[in-house]
Amino acid sequence: MISDYLEALAAALSFDRPLSQRVRQEVEDHLRQAVDADPAGGGLEAQQRAIANFGEPHAIAVQFAVVSLAQQTKRVGAAIILLIAGVFVAMKARVAWYAIMRCAISDDIKIVSGIIGSIDRYSFWVSVIIGIVGWVYVSGYRIVAGSGAAYRKQLRRFFLLCAAATGSLVISVVSDGVLTTLRLPGAGLSAEFLVPIFSMAIEIACAAILVLQIRGITQRATATAALLKT
Amino acid sequence: MHSMEGEMLKGHLDMIVLAALSAGPAHGYAVIQEIRRRSGQAFDLPEGTVYPALHRLEQAGWLTSRWVTAESGRRRRVYALTRHGERALTERRAVWQQFSDAIGSLLAGTRPRRRPA
Repeated sequence: MISDYLEALAAALSFDRPLSQRVRQEVEDHLRQAVDADPAGGGLEAQQRAIANFGEPHAIAVQFAVVSLAQQTKRVGAAIILLIAGVFVAMKARVAWYAIMRCAISDDIKIVSGIIGSIDRYSFWVSVIIGIVGWVYVSGYRIVAGSGAAYRKQLRRFFLLCAAATGSLVISVVSDGVLTTLRLPGAGLSAEFLVPIFSMAIEIACAAILVLQIRGITQRATATAALLKT
Repeated sequence: MHSMEGEMLKGHLDMIVLAALSAGPAHGYAVIQEIRRRSGQAFDLPEGTVYPALHRLEQAGWLTSRWVTAESGRRRRVYALTRHGERALTERRAVWQQFSDAIGSLLAGTRPRRRPA
């Protein structure tokens, strides 16, 4: 009977596998202790009582879902900072490489690349500022029991900040891509352009990971909200 | 003594769990037993609600936890207060004392005594 209950609890917590395994072990120890301490002995009745005192798997999973979502949200907050830093390093490495190779922009694309460069700079720094604000915001709040409505509000604000930071970063990476493309045809495809291409690949990967992280946390928040409603 | 209302307890669950752990590290089952014992059986919480609270408090940095092997051979997660947790408990205790004094005075029909800053 305890095994069936643990299976049901683990299934209800399937949204977070490591959490599910940990809780299962903790709850198993709890229930076995409760059965051992029952004056009626370790029979079926004692098991039924222990399970009834513990509560419905679904109700417990709902409480854990909020805790788990908060943890994942904080991870995403930190990931935003790391991924923006990754884009920054790749960007600076490419600029340093251009300086070493004395790779100048041809006069006929100077105006265009100046405009795109400005878009790139501003959108990048906007993403940095919003990313830091989002990270500080999400790191600062603490979930307390029964704070569902307030937490949902905080989550919404955090998602808006995430979306804004990601949007700005994507604009910056696209601008970088355009600038790199403008420089490439002039010199032809050679080994010296492997560094810019590689740095662009890193930038695109960072932006893509960020988009996937935001998508993942949004799906998770939707699933948690659905769990809270049932 | 009457068993306290569940909703009333929920709002104070964090403080209750921190207080139960102030006696020393303990696993979930022992925390629940300690809550029952120290409240004179008045706080009869649904046992399953204590575990999300323990995880939440650990996430907030107020508790730490580690696996130990019990005499029965089963693995057991033991929780302990961190310094942050001790500080949070002290703060909550002070706030609760003020609140309790104020409510007590209100119910007794007298004005609450002003505490020196």
